[in-house]
Amino acid sequence: MPIEFKKNRAIFRDEVSVEEAEGLLEWLQTRPTARADLSACNHMHTANLQVLMTAKAGISSWPKNAELRAWLEPALKPGE
Amino acid sequence: MSRPPMNPLSQSSLLPNPLLEQFLSESHDLIEATGKKLMQLEDAPSDQGILNELFRCVHTLKGNSGLFTFPEMTRVLHAGEDLLGLVRSGHAIYSRELADRLLDAMDYVGLLLGEIETTGQIDASRALESQHQAEALRRLMPSALPDEDKAAAANDDTLMTTIPRASLVDDSVTGLPHFSSIPEAARRSILEQDEHGDQLHWIAYRPQRECFFHGDDPLNSARQTPGLMWGRVLATAPLPSLAELDTYSCMLGFDLLTNAPREELDQYYRYLPDQVEITAIPPSWFAKGQDGEKVPGEASPAANPARSRSEDEEAAFSKILSAQREILLLDDRLPWHAGRLKAVAVVLANLSQGDGEESSQTDIQAALADALSTGHNTLLLAWLDACLAAYKAVGPEANLSRTSGRNDKAVTARSAASGDTGPAIENEPGKVPSDEGIKFGRRAEDSNGGPRSLKVDQAKIDRLMNLIGELVVSKNALPYLAERAESQFGVRELSREIKGQYSIINRIADEMQDAIMQVRMMAVSFVFQRFPRLVRDISRKLGKEVQLVLEGEHTEADKNIIESLADPLIHIVRNSLDHGLETPEVRLAAGKPAIGKLTIRAAQEADRVVIEIVDDGKGIDPAIIKQKAYEKGIIDEATLERIGDQEAINLIFAAGLSTAAVISDLSGRGVGMDVVRSAVEKINGAVVIESELGKGTSIRISLPLSMAVTQVMVIESDGQLFGVPMDHVVETVRVPRSSIHAFKQSQTAVLRGRIVPLKALNTLLGIAAIPQANSDDELAVLLVQAGNTELGLLVDGFQETMGVIQKPFNGFLSGLSAYSGSALMGDGSVLMILNIREII
Repeated sequence: MPIEFKKNRAIFRDEVSVEEAEGLLEWLQTRPTARADLSACNHMHTANLQVLMTAKAGISSWPKNAELRAWLEPALKPGE
Repeated sequence: MSRPPMNPLSQSSLLPNPLLEQFLSESHDLIEATGKKLMQLEDAPSDQGILNELFRCVHTLKGNSGLFTFPEMTRVLHAGEDLLGLVRSGHAIYSRELADRLLDAMDYVGLLLGEIETTGQIDASRALESQHQAEALRRLMPSALPDEDKAAAANDDTLMTTIPRASLVDDSVTGLPHFSSIPEAARRSILEQDEHGDQLHWIAYRPQRECFFHGDDPLNSARQTPGLMWGRVLATAPLPSLAELDTYSCMLGFDLLTNAPREELDQYYRYLPDQVEITAIPPSWFAKGQDGEKVPGEASPAANPARSRSEDEEAAFSKILSAQREILLLDDRLPWHAGRLKAVAVVLANLSQGDGEESSQTDIQAALADALSTGHNTLLLAWLDACLAAYKAVGPEANLSRTSGRNDKAVTARSAASGDTGPAIENEPGKVPSDEGIKFGRRAEDSNGGPRSLKVDQAKIDRLMNLIGELVVSKNALPYLAERAESQFGVRELSREIKGQYSIINRIADEMQDAIMQVRMMAVSFVFQRFPRLVRDISRKLGKEVQLVLEGEHTEADKNIIESLADPLIHIVRNSLDHGLETPEVRLAAGKPAIGKLTIRAAQEADRVVIEIVDDGKGIDPAIIKQKAYEKGIIDEATLERIGDQEAINLIFAAGLSTAAVISDLSGRGVGMDVVRSAVEKINGAVVIESELGKGTSIRISLPLSMAVTQVMVIESDGQLFGVPMDHVVETVRVPRSSIHAFKQSQTAVLRGRIVPLKALNTLLGIAAIPQANSDDELAVLLVQAGNTELGLLVDGFQETMGVIQKPFNGFLSGLSAYSGSALMGDGSVLMILNIREII
């Protein structure tokens, strides 16, 4: 399971495929304060990124993969 | 600087691939079939059956092309398929224009196939062309329907608002987003990486909304962009609220900066040329950075002689220094590390210059030299640390953390792109087959059962052909052996047994030869199938209405014969269309139906194939031909007076004659029918023309079924054996010496009521011997014919006729025009084949 949904935290692991996006969206729709843990994530499909951006979801930890972080941080950081 | 490895989508390794070979040969067939169906559809635009088949052809082609990485081809075919799908469902109307477009597109696909065959791939530069082709097809789709282009266009509109569209041609910087719009840390890293002054490209990648359904992952594509230096994600449209979000509609875009060469980028983005805009960045672009914030290398705002710095300046200074420190601490094993060091040194030097500390310049240079030579930047670092300590930085750490974080990322982003390709790529090539595999599977239902034929390389058949030739020759040695067994060794028993075995081998060899000949046989439809298109295109161009009738398409002949037939036939057909058939008005005025009729008919007559091209046009006027031929000096005045109409018409086979008043691109250049005739004669064929003024013209080409085995009659003269091709032999007779009339040097005889000139073969070949008569004082006369000439050859005797495999002369001997070649006889001796046309 590339996304593990905890109570109020979605943990992204490895590569998150396009199939996850729908589930992620539904999950986020009911949890406005949820945060995403991306530390173990190596890649997420654009659809997932789009969901995270739309939800303005908080990020509890950024990917360890620095290159991915360089992409995600400007897009997902509040106020950027 | 190390370039990223070739992008993972490259398929050059696929070339020696049986699947690809099969794809190529199948695709050629499918393209031909498509062309044919389009023609048929032109006659019966509402025939749903043909339309369905047509759709299936294009669909299969598209599906197959998707198996490989030929996006250019797939794109065009996909558009074609969509268009045909609309026609099929009645949403679009079949029109001539539509057919023209589709034929054009098919030609283009054929071109791409050719390119794949020769180079193993499609040049990335084709992407734009293929896009044009696809767009041309999509333009024909009714506008009421939602089509992809519309969506793409809408997509484009939205991005207009976010980023001004950059022009590909215009080198000015106006179209580019401002350099300063890139975050400062990224700018710094870009400048640093651009130490070598590579041409940079700005890529505005705006994925289509529905791109997720095509299996695209734009983020992944962006991340793997070759030579990536920096990139960002942006929303191409205002993002909706979470409740309204459509997960599967892509609303993100990407801005990328890369230092990969243009070709590599084109290659990488060849699947999505309509979604990316690649702009070369002119050097002046960076200068823009100056207006904005400070940029390393240009850095110092402190060209401030007063040496007193404001608090802000102090903060900036310490920020710059910290950043330089970060850079120095970065991985020093990278190949561009030296460049990085130099950049740092330049920044520091500029800083200190601005500060007026001239002395530190030399320190920096020394430290740089040390760092470059040893590979350790301890000295530079120490100097920097000293500087940092000197500036009591105003909360540098706070600023630093963010700056360095980003800087770090940008650099690693690049190193990741250049080095390890990461696991994300792995699914990219895998994705294509798995997706298309389903489509490929569907093909089983699409085609009405596989063809029960094999495709074999011609070289293999040729080899078989050569082998059977040798077998026939060596088999013929057995009777000689039997003869020797009896006469020389006196073992009649053995001789009989050898003969028995020989007859068995002989039968098998004959059958085998026949079977191989059958394999080489091809239907004339191979040549005929291109005529509907040819006739359609030419007649359209000339404004003529022509009905083409093809008959006997299944007539077969040897492959070589059929292939060499193509060019002469095309020439004749063009001539008929250009000179023969009239325009509808002229035809109506002459009391003929407005639509001209061109018939191409093939039939087998005995061991020859006869092809007739008949038109009901205006025919050939012998008077005009005569006049033209006279004007061009082909015939003299006496001939002009003397020759009959048929002879005059035959003059069109003379070189240099053209009857068309105006030279068109179709015919009329005076190279024509003579070329046709020589091409036909080269394969032992003959061409005859008949024409009736005002009624039409008929051209008849007669060809041997096969060239591989020539039937020759063996004759004897002066103790030597010669072969005479059976095509030329009319009859063999024995004429009593008393019936031969001598008139001066010439001899004649009356055969079957006709006077036939006689010549001794010995004389013709320059052999100093007179023909030998038999015991009844009769001379052997071989009556031969070449063209319209008949001649009796006086020889010493006749032997059997036999099938031989004629080999042309090579090298020095090829200059001997009296012989057309040689053949091996069963006893191993060489038989010279006479070239009758030349010697009489």
